[in-house]
Amino acid sequence: MAAISINGLSKRYGMGKTVLAAVKDFSIEIADGEFVTLLGPSGCGKSTTLRLVAGYVRPDGGSIRVGDRLLSSPDSVVPPEARGMGMVFQNYAVWPHKSVAENVVFGLRVQKVSRGEAQRRVERILDIVGLAGLGGRFPNELSGGQQQRVALARSLVVEPTILLLDEPLSNLDAKLREHMRAELKALQRRTGITFVYVTHDQAEALALSDRIAVMHRGVLQQYGAPREIYAKPANRIVADFMGLVNLLPATIAAVNGGSARVAASGFHLDLALPPGLAAGDAAEIAIRPESIRFVAPGGSAGVAAQVAEQTYLGNLSEYRLVLAGGETLRVQAPAAADHPVGATVAIAVDAAQCNLFPKAAPDSRNPNLHQGQAT
Amino acid sequence: MTAVTQRSRLQLEPIVTGAAVAALVVLIVLPLGFLLWGSVANDSGFTLGYFVRALSQRLYLQALTNSLILGCWTALLSVAIGVPLAWVVSRTDLPGKSFVRLTASMAYLSPPFLIAIAYVNLFSPNAGLVNAFVRDVLGYPALTFNVFSMAGLVLVTVPHTFPFVYILAVGALQSVDASYEESAQILGAGTLRTAFAITLPLVAPAILSGTLIAFVNAIALFGSQAIIGMPGRVFTLPTRIYALFTYPPQYGLASALSLIFVAITVTALYLQRAYLAKRSYVTLGGKGVRPRLVELGGLRWLLLGFCILVFVVTILLPYATLVAVSFSKSWGLAFWQNLTLANYRFVLFDYDVTQRAILNSLFLAAAAASIAVAIGAIVAWIDLRTTMIGRRFLDYVSLVPLGLPGIVMAVALIQFWLAMPVALYGTLTILLLAYVARYIPLGVRSAGASLRQIDRSLEESARILGASWGFTMREITLPLIRPGLFAGWMLVFVPAIQELSASILLFSSSSITLAVAIYNLHETGHLEPVAALALLNMAIIGAAILLASRLGRARHGVQEGVTS
Repeated sequence: MAAISINGLSKRYGMGKTVLAAVKDFSIEIADGEFVTLLGPSGCGKSTTLRLVAGYVRPDGGSIRVGDRLLSSPDSVVPPEARGMGMVFQNYAVWPHKSVAENVVFGLRVQKVSRGEAQRRVERILDIVGLAGLGGRFPNELSGGQQQRVALARSLVVEPTILLLDEPLSNLDAKLREHMRAELKALQRRTGITFVYVTHDQAEALALSDRIAVMHRGVLQQYGAPREIYAKPANRIVADFMGLVNLLPATIAAVNGGSARVAASGFHLDLALPPGLAAGDAAEIAIRPESIRFVAPGGSAGVAAQVAEQTYLGNLSEYRLVLAGGETLRVQAPAAADHPVGATVAIAVDAAQCNLFPKAAPDSRNPNLHQGQAT
Repeated sequence: MTAVTQRSRLQLEPIVTGAAVAALVVLIVLPLGFLLWGSVANDSGFTLGYFVRALSQRLYLQALTNSLILGCWTALLSVAIGVPLAWVVSRTDLPGKSFVRLTASMAYLSPPFLIAIAYVNLFSPNAGLVNAFVRDVLGYPALTFNVFSMAGLVLVTVPHTFPFVYILAVGALQSVDASYEESAQILGAGTLRTAFAITLPLVAPAILSGTLIAFVNAIALFGSQAIIGMPGRVFTLPTRIYALFTYPPQYGLASALSLIFVAITVTALYLQRAYLAKRSYVTLGGKGVRPRLVELGGLRWLLLGFCILVFVVTILLPYATLVAVSFSKSWGLAFWQNLTLANYRFVLFDYDVTQRAILNSLFLAAAAASIAVAIGAIVAWIDLRTTMIGRRFLDYVSLVPLGLPGIVMAVALIQFWLAMPVALYGTLTILLLAYVARYIPLGVRSAGASLRQIDRSLEESARILGASWGFTMREITLPLIRPGLFAGWMLVFVPAIQELSASILLFSSSSITLAVAIYNLHETGHLEPVAALALLNMAIIGAAILLASRLGRARHGVQEGVTS
């Protein structure tokens, strides 16, 4: 059983007045064979969490279990070498003084697997990761992508039940990254190994994961399937981190059961009401650029806006529109429709794809989370 | 990672790290503690009497003053020689740069007391060859130079200390990218103005740092201060401390004097650290540094002449003198008329001390290098790779010996081991302890520098694959830092095989070392055999270095030794 249960995990660094909480009260359940991604900006605690799971770091609070086995708690930590996990590091950590085959066979030597058996397994895994015939090479003779495969092979050859991956693709160029992404996903499906994957790249997380845990400043913000995270972000931090988003100031005009009628810069939308908000409260609507569409001017559904900027991206066009109240909106639309700068247009919003959040207190606003910054 | 436990079987990691910590305590902390205690305790309890005497009696104040004068003059001259040499090597089109580099390396590697002995042969008031020539042949007795003086002491010390300034200045000058200077020029600054407004401020911290290291090393040299200073009644702190050990030994006063000595050294090293840490712009350079070469034109012959002069004074003259003396029956103006091999026969076969001393020195240097590097590797590993409480303190302790002149280390060890129930005094063991303690900082530095180059994920990925601490060390960590450890071994071996400052207080007739043997022979006044023995010593050092650099790739001997 390789289900992971993380409960109330916390880790602080530093001492005295400069204590920094790297991870705060972090709890998730990871099912056997699941592909789970820890996602967040740098410094959000995702790598610390992974190192806690690996056993390199002792937690200050909480516990980590695999199946019924307690691996980490503030009182005792099973050392990494006794956890039976694999780990792929961001810098690959391929040992420069060992050949490819020597790197890969290392874990089997530790397990005292017989020489012949070890050789067979090394050859098979090198074949799987696409390095057949390169066993005699040394790391400095390999490309970055090939070193990445060595690191993968080295972790997989010992057939771990859990594989930890710390931003494994971030040092590869864009094309190779996409290729390796597909291979990783296929590999995970084929082997049934539980993957815990750390990245700051939301597209990577969406493409790979069964579930995503979004972290910010050491705190778990949301844990769910990619579609859920993208379409129904739990708060504005998640909404902002998962791609481009417009945050439009709004007022709750009326409440009707679980839904609210919201007014914002000429828009009148019926949205699901988050807890803690009542009629008359100030709020913010999170609108994805792709859920805004141009409509025929003069219709009752349209809100007037002026085109301030147009950027042609090939497959689509991106606009910056200014509303009557002065707010700006980013809009992505098919490139076929061409609205020149200065033109007055009418737009409509698909309410089903919008989310309503309480208005952030000014002092708690993260400067990185302003509208239009999430490029 | 040290916190990671929960296994019942015997763990290697706590044993190894514990042993290193214990070694530091026995080698450094306890001897220093006894030194401190010895300086303020007499039979009746606590006293400040030793410090009062050390700081009020003319004898000791004079020694203190002389040490400071020696340090300052030596540092000044080291800059005057080291900076120009560094500049021509790194920034000009001077021909024969490798010759300048060779001069600096050889000057650093030559045992300082050998230079002193050589200059005694040339400039002792009566028998000195140059003095005899000037007085008897030229007939100008007023132009003779008495080497047994402060000036003589500075003269024989500078060859050993200018390489410190040189090597740091070269490093700094080479890491200043030409674009800095070219930016100043495009804004209208001339060559001279650029040099003073841009280049000099950039490299000044490195030069100052080298100057302070030169100062610290100069005042700590026992050999030259005894050979040159004592006959001329120019006493310094090391020679005064040494004199306090003639019967009856005055441990309390020696301890107090030692601590005053340490205070000076530590202050200088602290300043050096602070300067280098705060203002090391030049290390920012990183990759793609492209120093600019100045075309010297007619100036080159003047500068080349200066370089040759440095070579003659620091290398050629001393070695040529030693060679000449070693082959002559009787040193004097007509030495070539009675050449002989008898001196070599004497030191190699008749003088029964030599062979024992050679074996002792080789053993001590090899053992000290191995142990210092081993302890250094563990201490560096603890500091860089664990979260052990007090690991920073451990690192500081391991660097403490940098501030302890050799003779002070000897005084501390004597104080400590005389109080212990084991009779170590006069054995090879106490010499080994002294050497290891003195050179542990070099071991820690070399190992630390290598470990920093190795990302910890290389070790972590072995652990997660199931490898124990010991297996990871053997398979991953040690193979990766081996070149660095080997360089560290050489860094310790070279000064250890010529160690005199600590050995002089710790040796006995059975544990005598080569350097002590040479010093003792010199004391008895036999100029010619001393020269033979000195050259034999150099031959052994040279052979050892050659052998070692064949075995490994120890490239940066001088460079790293200086920055430590």
